[in-house]
Amino acid sequence: MKRNPVDPTTPEPPTRGLPLHRRSFLQAAGFSLAAVATGCHRPPPHSSRPYLEAPGEVVAGRPLYYASVCDGCSAGCGTLVKVRDGRPIKLEGLDEHPGSRGGLCAMGQASLLGLYDSRRLRGPLVAGRDATWAEADGAIRSGLAQARAAGRGIRLLTPSLHSPTERAAAARFVELQGAVHVVHDPLSASAILDAHAVTHGRRLLPRYRFERADLIVGLDADFLGTWISPVEFAAGYRAARRPDVASPRPSYHIQLEPTLTLSGCKADRRLTLRPDEIPALISALSHALAPGLMPDRAPEGGSLAANLAAAVADLARQLQQVAEAGGHSLIVSGSDDLTTQVLINGLNFHLGNYAATVDLEHPSLQRQGSDVAFAELVAELRRGEVGALLVAGLDPLHEFEGAGLQTTFEDLDLLVSLSPQSDATAAVADIVCPSHHFLESWGDAEPVEGLLAVRQPTIAPLWNTRSLRAGLDAWSTIEGAATVDDLVALQAYWRQEIHPRDSRGMDFQSFWDRTVHDGVALLLPASATTASATTASATPAFDTLAFATWLSEAWRSTTQTTAPASDTPTDAFTLVLYPKVGLGEGRHADNPWLHELPDPISKVTWGNYACLSPSAAGRLGVKDGDIVRLRAGEAALELPALVQPGQHDDVVAVAMGYGNRRSERFRDIGPEWIGTSPSTDDEGRVGRNGARLLEGLGRVRHGVAVEATGSRRELAKTQQWERSDDRVLVEEVTLQALLAGNVAAEHGGQEHGSKEHGGQKHRADLYPDDHRARDSAAHPARKWGMSIDLDACTGCSACVIACQAENNLPVVGYDEVRRHRDMQWMRIDRYYGASEGATGTEADTLDIAFQPMLCQHCDQAPCETVCPVLATVQTEEGLNAQAYNRCVGTRYCANNCPFKVRRFNWFDYQRDDPVANLVLNPDVVVRSRGVMEKCSFCVQRIENAKIEARSRGEQRVRDDEVRSACQQSCPAKAIVFGDVLDEASQVAASRRDRRGYRLLEELNVQPSVDYLRRVRRRPLVDESAANAKNEATDGGSSHG
Amino acid sequence: MAESTHLRQPWILGAKTPHQVTEDVAGLLDRRPTVLWWSALTASFLALAVGVVAVSYQLTTGIGTWGLNKTVGWAFDITNFVFWIGIGHAGTLISAILFLFRQKWRTSVNRAAEAMTLFAVMCAGIFPVIHMGRAWLAFWVIPYPNFRGPLWVNFRSPLLWDVFAISTYFTISLLFWYLGLVPDLASLRDRASGKVRRFVFGILALGWNGSYRTWIRYESVYLLLAGLAAPLVVSVHTVVSFDFAVSILPGWHTTIFPPYFVAGAIFSGFAMVLTLMILARWTLGIGEYFTTRHVDAMCKVVIATGSMVGLAYITELFIAAYSENPFEKFAFLNRALGPYAWAYWIMVTCNVAAPQLLWFRRLRTSLPFVFVISIVVNIGMWFERYVLIVTSLHRDFLPSSWSYYTPTVVEVATLVGSFGLFFTLFLLFCRFLPMIAMAEVKGILGETSHD
Repeated sequence: MKRNPVDPTTPEPPTRGLPLHRRSFLQAAGFSLAAVATGCHRPPPHSSRPYLEAPGEVVAGRPLYYASVCDGCSAGCGTLVKVRDGRPIKLEGLDEHPGSRGGLCAMGQASLLGLYDSRRLRGPLVAGRDATWAEADGAIRSGLAQARAAGRGIRLLTPSLHSPTERAAAARFVELQGAVHVVHDPLSASAILDAHAVTHGRRLLPRYRFERADLIVGLDADFLGTWISPVEFAAGYRAARRPDVASPRPSYHIQLEPTLTLSGCKADRRLTLRPDEIPALISALSHALAPGLMPDRAPEGGSLAANLAAAVADLARQLQQVAEAGGHSLIVSGSDDLTTQVLINGLNFHLGNYAATVDLEHPSLQRQGSDVAFAELVAELRRGEVGALLVAGLDPLHEFEGAGLQTTFEDLDLLVSLSPQSDATAAVADIVCPSHHFLESWGDAEPVEGLLAVRQPTIAPLWNTRSLRAGLDAWSTIEGAATVDDLVALQAYWRQEIHPRDSRGMDFQSFWDRTVHDGVALLLPASATTASATTASATPAFDTLAFATWLSEAWRSTTQTTAPASDTPTDAFTLVLYPKVGLGEGRHADNPWLHELPDPISKVTWGNYACLSPSAAGRLGVKDGDIVRLRAGEAALELPALVQPGQHDDVVAVAMGYGNRRSERFRDIGPEWIGTSPSTDDEGRVGRNGARLLEGLGRVRHGVAVEATGSRRELAKTQQWERSDDRVLVEEVTLQALLAGNVAAEHGGQEHGSKEHGGQKHRADLYPDDHRARDSAAHPARKWGMSIDLDACTGCSACVIACQAENNLPVVGYDEVRRHRDMQWMRIDRYYGASEGATGTEADTLDIAFQPMLCQHCDQAPCETVCPVLATVQTEEGLNAQAYNRCVGTRYCANNCPFKVRRFNWFDYQRDDPVANLVLNPDVVVRSRGVMEKCSFCVQRIENAKIEARSRGEQRVRDDEVRSACQQSCPAKAIVFGDVLDEASQVAASRRDRRGYRLLEELNVQPSVDYLRRVRRRPLVDESAANAKNEATDGGSSHG
Repeated sequence: MAESTHLRQPWILGAKTPHQVTEDVAGLLDRRPTVLWWSALTASFLALAVGVVAVSYQLTTGIGTWGLNKTVGWAFDITNFVFWIGIGHAGTLISAILFLFRQKWRTSVNRAAEAMTLFAVMCAGIFPVIHMGRAWLAFWVIPYPNFRGPLWVNFRSPLLWDVFAISTYFTISLLFWYLGLVPDLASLRDRASGKVRRFVFGILALGWNGSYRTWIRYESVYLLLAGLAAPLVVSVHTVVSFDFAVSILPGWHTTIFPPYFVAGAIFSGFAMVLTLMILARWTLGIGEYFTTRHVDAMCKVVIATGSMVGLAYITELFIAAYSENPFEKFAFLNRALGPYAWAYWIMVTCNVAAPQLLWFRRLRTSLPFVFVISIVVNIGMWFERYVLIVTSLHRDFLPSSWSYYTPTVVEVATLVGSFGLFFTLFLLFCRFLPMIAMAEVKGILGETSHD
C-alpha cells in the first residue's frame, strides 16, 4: 500500500492553488466516467483526452491512496480513500488518526456508495425545476431579502459542523444576513453540553477517554455502537481491556440501559431499566457516593426498583473502591435529561475523572447541537416568525414526522434544502441546492479540538453540485461576486486561522502539504490560544458552588423528575426510538449496503420492527414477524414485532431513520422471478418512521399502547437460531484463569497450533501434510492465517461492509434474505446465553456472544474433496481458493462446509445501474449466476502485496503490508491476518496467545483461522489482591 | 412355498401354448389404443410438459427459483435423483440376479421391470444435471482431454463416482433390456402386417432367425450380461450412498449407508414394479401371465427389504446414541423430533409399519391392497431421501446457520414432470413393445414353482 504524497518539490502559489496535474486528471477521469456511464444531457465542461504526458504517479491498474476525512456521520474519523483509475472504490481507516486509530465503521465505509448513487440530484432545483446556480442563488438572495423586509427571521439549520471552514462560513452568513444558526443533532448530546455549561461555565462536550478507564459505567449510552464517536470509543475501550498477560489491567464495565445495545453486549454486568428510571438512579447514586457535593434540599431519589437500588449500592461501592485505589472510572450517559447530566458531571468530578477519562482540554466538537435552540426554532416556526429557513444535512420533516412541522413550513417565504437527495424536506423546498458528496470536495474537519484534518477530493464532482461552504459564501456576498474555489477558500482559512496554531514552526506550504499527506495534524486547541490571552486557565474547572446552586434550583422548580408512572395505564409501554448500527439516525436511508447489513444484535435486515422483551411478547401473544399496532394518542404505527431478549419489559423499541422516502427506490432491488416480493412494505418504503408516534422533540414517549393485529410480515433475518444451546462455540476464560495460565484446563485442554510451528509437537494425523509449502529463495514458503479476538470484537459489523465493498458482493434484497440467501462472506454470529453467576431477571443475566465467521481456509478442507471439477482447491500458501470460472454449481462444497460460509449465486444479481457499478473493485471478478463464492482472504490484496514486494526486489512480504479488508477497518483491531510461518508476524504472535482455540477442532478440518477466547471479568472490588498475586507469579509464557 | 394349494399351480395360468402366448402379448400391440391409454398418455404428457416448463424456467432464471438456501443446498433435486435411481434397481435385480438364481417367476415381470429401470434412470439422470448452477457446463464432470488446460476432474469426489456409476448402469441396463428383446422383436417382425412395422422390427431384430446357434449365442451373452449387471445392483446405490456417507455432515457421515441404500432401493423398486404390473393387469388383461402368485412372491421381497430398512433406521438411532458425538446425537433427535418430524414419521409409517401388513397372505394376495401398499412404500421411500437430505442439512454444526427449507412451485412442478416423463415413456413402451418377455415365458409354460 503506497500513500500518495503531495509533491513537496513543486509548491504552487496558493492563489492558483491547485496541484494541477492531479486535479486535472481527476476532473477528466471523473467527468469522462460520469459522461460515459450515464449519458447525461449536460455536456461535460472539460473534454476527456488521453494524457500527452501522464503524471508519474498514475499507473493504470495501480491504486492510489489519499488521506481524507470520513463524513458518514459527524464523528469525523480519518480515512484513506483507495482510488483506482480515477475513481474512489474503497474507504479504509487511517492508521495515523489519533481518534479513530485505523478503524472505520460500517456506516462510514458504506457512505462511499452514496457517491455513485444515480438518484442524487444532478443540479439545483428552483420550484422543482432544473435551474442554474445563478438562478438558484438569485432566488435565494431575493427570498432572504423578502424575509428580512417582512421582519421575519432567517434561520440556518444544520447538524454539528465539524469543519472549521464551514463553521466560519456559517458564522459569516449569520453575521451578514442577520440570521441565526441553529445546530441540531438527531442523535443529540445537547444535555451533556448544557450540563457542562452549568458545572464548568462553558458549553462543551468532553472527549471521553475510555482507554484510561478502569471502571466504565454506561447509562443508556451505546458508545460502542452509535454514540458520538463509536470508532474512537471502541478503540479506546479495547485499549483499556486488552487482557495482556505481561501487564494485566483489571477493567470492568457496567451497562444500564432499556434496550440491548452493542455496549450492553460487551458489558461485564448489565442491568435493564426504563428510561424514566435513569434520573432517580443517578440521583440515588450521587447521594450514596458524593453526599458532600450535593445541595441540602435534595429530594430522595423517588422509589427505585429493588434491583436498581441494589445496583446503586453496588455501583457506589465499586466506584468508590476504584477511586480509593487511585484508578479511574468513567460514567457516561446518553440521557437527554439535564439534571441527570449535571449529576453525572458531579460524580465524574467527585471520582477524579476529569482530566483523566473525561478530557476537557481537548473537548469534542462532534456534537454541538442544542435541543433548546432547536425547540426555540420550532416554536418560532409555529408562531410564524421565521421567513427563511435553510436546511443542510438534516431532514426535519422526516425526523419529526409526528410533530406537524409540514404546516409550519408552508408559511415560510423561503425554504432552501442543501440535501443531495430528494428527501422529505427537499421535496417541499422552494429551492434545492444539492451538496457535493464528501469525496468530491475539499474540506476539513476538527472532530476534537486540536485534531485537524484535511479532506481531499478524490474525484471531480459527478454532477452539478456545490459545497455548503460555497453556498453560504454565495448568499453572504452581494450579487455578482465571483465564487471562490473550495480549495482557495480552504487554504485561505487555514493560512489565517489554523496555521498559527501549529507549534512545529513550518511555513504554511510545508504545513499544508504535510497535513494533506498525513491526513491529520495535531495542533493547539483553538480555545487554548484564545483562552490564554484572556484568562489564566485554558481548561474550565468544575464549579462546586454552581453545581449545588443549580441543582437546588432545579429540584425546587420541578418536584417530580421521573415520568409519572402511576397515571398511565399499566399495560402501557415506553416507546424508545433508537439508532441502529449502520443506519444510525437514518442519514443513509438510501444506502442498500446498510439496509442489507444485519443488525448486529437482532440480525434483521431491510426494515425496522418493534422490539419487545420475551415476557412482553408473551403477554401480547406475539412472536417474531407478527404485526403489532403501537398507539400513542392520535398516532398509530403498525410494525412487525421482534422478540428481543435483554430488553426491559416495559419498553417497546423502534429503530430510527426508517420509512424514509429515499428508500422507495428499493422496491425491486432483488432478483426478479415469480416468487419474489418487494423489499419495501405496503407503504412503499423500507420500514416505518417511528417518529410518527412522538409528540415532542425527544426520542422517548411514555404511555404507548401495543396490541397484536393478527397479520404478519416475516422479518428478513440472517440468523434464525438465537442460541448455541449446549454447543461450546464461543469459548471463554476468566481473567483469573488466564493470568494463572490455566486456560486449557477449563475447556478440555485441547492442544492446537502445533501444525504450523515446525512440527515439533506430536501430530495426531497419520497422513502426511498435503499442503506443505515449498520453501526456496524465489518462492518463500507462506501460510496465510487469521486470528480473531472474540474478546475484542464488539459486533459493530464494520468488517461486514468492508468485505462487501472490497469483494463486490451483491445486494439481494428483503425477499432473498428472508429465504436465507444473504450473500455476505463475512458474517457475525450472535448467540444468546445466560451468564454464569449473575443474578437478577432474565434480561439482566443475558449473555451475548459475537463470533465473526468467514471461510476458515481449512488445511483439510471438506469442501475441496467433494467438488467434482476441482473448482475449489488448496493453494501453496494455504488458501482455500475458489475458481469461479471452473465452478459448475453442484453446491456439494457448501453442504459439506461445517461453518456454512459458502455463498451460492442463486440468480444473476442486479448490476444494471452504470453509475453504481463504478464502485466495483476491478481487482475482484463479479460472479455470475450458478457459481459458488466465499471469502478469499482478500487474495487480491495478497497478490498486490507480493507484486509490491517484488518490485522492491524483496521476496518476503512485510507483515503490515498484507491486510484483509475486514482486518483493516476493525475499530477494535480484533482481526489479525498474515503469514503464520513468519515468526515475527502479528498473526504468529497471536497464535501463540494462550487464549487461542479453533472452532470445531474435533472435525480435524484444520482451519487457518484461530479464535482467541472471550475473557470473563469479575468485579474489581474483590479482585485487586488476587491480581497482584497473579502478576507476580505469572511469567507470560505461552505455548504453541 | 410349502403350501399345498400352490403345490401344482403353474406360474402361467390358462394352459397356454407358445402360439397363444405370442397372440396374447403381441396381440396387445395390434389393437387400437384404448380410451384409457389415451387419457393416461395425455395426463402423463401434460405432467411432462409442466416439468419442461419448470426446468426451462429454472435453467434460464436460476437455481434461486427453487427453495434452497445457504444452509440447505440440496433438497428436491437430489431427493428425486436418489428416488428414481432407487426405483431402477428392482429392474436389474429382477432381470439379472433373479435370472442367475433361476427364479422362474421373474419372466412375467422382467421386461416391464427392465423398461422401468431404463426410464427411471433417465428420470434420475436429469436431476444431477439440472441441479447444477451452470447446467450447460455439466460435461465438465466428464474426464476427457480438453483445451481448458487441460483441466482434469476430481477423482476424490463422490459426485464423479456417480457419473461413472450411473452412466455404466444405464449402458448395461439398456444393453440387457435390448438383448432380451431381440427374440421377441423377431416374433413381432414375423407377424407384422404393415411394411413399416416389418422394416422397423426387422432392423431391431438384428437378423434373428431362431436357429439353434442363435439361441446358443443369445443364451450365453444373456448370461454374461446378467453376470455383469448383478454387481451393479449393489454398486450403483452404494456409490449413490457415498454422496452422503463420504461427507462430514452429521446424519450423512454414516458407514451403514451402502447396504441401507441398496435395501431401500430394492424395496422401492419392487413397490414400483408392483404398481405398474397391477395397473397393467387391470387394464391390459394379462392376468394369466401376472398372477397373484407373482404378487405374492414380490410382496415377500418387499417385506424383507422393508424390514432391512427398518433395521437400518433403528441402527442409525442406536449408533447416534452410542457414539456420544453430540452433533450426531442432535442430528438424529432433530430428525425424529425437530421441525421435519412430520416427514420422518411419514417415512417410518410408510416404510416400516405399512409393509408389515404383508405378513398376512390374505392381504398379500389382494391386488387392491397391494396396489395401495406399493404406492405407500414409494411415498415413504421418497420421504426417506427427503428426510435424509434436508434434515441433516438444515441444522448442522453452527446454529447460526440453521434454517428451514420449503419447496417452491417450480420444484414441485419438476418432480411432477419427472413422473410425467416416466409414465409417458412407460405408456409408449406398453404400446410399441411386448411388455412380457414372450420368449422367456414360453420357456416356463406348464412349470410350477417346484420344478
